[in-house]
Amino acid sequence: MKFAIALFSAAHAPSSRRALLFAQAALAGGHEIVRLFFYQDGVYNASGALVTPQDELDLPKQWRTFIDEQKLDGVVCIAAALRRGALNAEEAKRYQRDAVSISAPWELSGLGQLHDAVQDADRLICFGGA
Amino acid sequence: MSTLHVLSHSPFGDDRLNSCLRLLGSADALLLCGDAVYALQPGGAPFSALQDKKISLFVLLEDVQARAIEIPDWATVIDYPAFVELSIDHDKVNSWL
Amino acid sequence: MAKSLLIVSRQSPWSGPGAREALDIVLAGGAFDLPIGLLFLDDGVLQLAAGQNAKALQQKDLSANLQALPMFGVEELFYCLDSANARGLEKPSLDEAQPLSAEHITALIDRYDQVITL
Repeated sequence: MKFAIALFSAAHAPSSRRALLFAQAALAGGHEIVRLFFYQDGVYNASGALVTPQDELDLPKQWRTFIDEQKLDGVVCIAAALRRGALNAEEAKRYQRDAVSISAPWELSGLGQLHDAVQDADRLICFGGA
Repeated sequence: MSTLHVLSHSPFGDDRLNSCLRLLGSADALLLCGDAVYALQPGGAPFSALQDKKISLFVLLEDVQARAIEIPDWATVIDYPAFVELSIDHDKVNSWL
Repeated sequence: MAKSLLIVSRQSPWSGPGAREALDIVLAGGAFDLPIGLLFLDDGVLQLAAGQNAKALQQKDLSANLQALPMFGVEELFYCLDSANARGLEKPSLDEAQPLSAEHITALIDRYDQVITL
């Protein structure tokens, strides 16, 4: 079964952790994830600028490790990311900003990538809110 | 066709549970996770609403454990692998973000 | 055949970027000629109130974008009748949007391949 997983909440929201655990369980169950798409506040999960206290769950780091190890397609909506100050080197240069917080394996792209994933997958699962 | 509806907000002071229950089809199921599991707090209005509806109801294990809520026998507790399977058993998943 | 997607928009127009970001998903789908529907539910029906003034809050005019949806290939527009009634919304400003009862919304969700409620 092919899953598209979309995340709409910031890294500190319980739903973001739930998304990661669902994604891990899906792969462990022998399923495929065609794309992870990060929209709205979900873009913060891709931020390399978050500093988590040592004794707390570092979700952005876990996402990064998960995407790297499983060689997944992690796409961050570019418009949502720009609006929230989450930029990769290319966008920081384009808009003349000092701060770069998104880098590989994350990719910035448009909402077309969400639709593309929906077309490709058997199921779309969204996580967000609380 | 069937839909798995997923709620994660507390039912107290929030529209989502009520709206969801109004739209729930006969083949649909409901999964409560996060603060939405507070709907199963005995004696509350959401508890009665769910009990009366006689729907196919699931709750996420970790959220029940964290909140020390006792689960009635008309709800099924599931873990993440079962959540994945549940999403496959239905034609689509509607998460109320 | 392309899979159909229903967007359920539940946010009021002036509560943050939520309503606009829901609309952006719809517009992107329309731009790719995908079968896409938009349902206004709960506070989302308030996006359809007449005479809204975006300038008062220094915002972009969401209503104008909604009016343009059919031009962008999005013709499947609906709103929840119960939500509208509960909020005293008598005449939605979007003529193309069809009012639906709860039972019809259940059937609508059934009809689409996937759904995003935000």
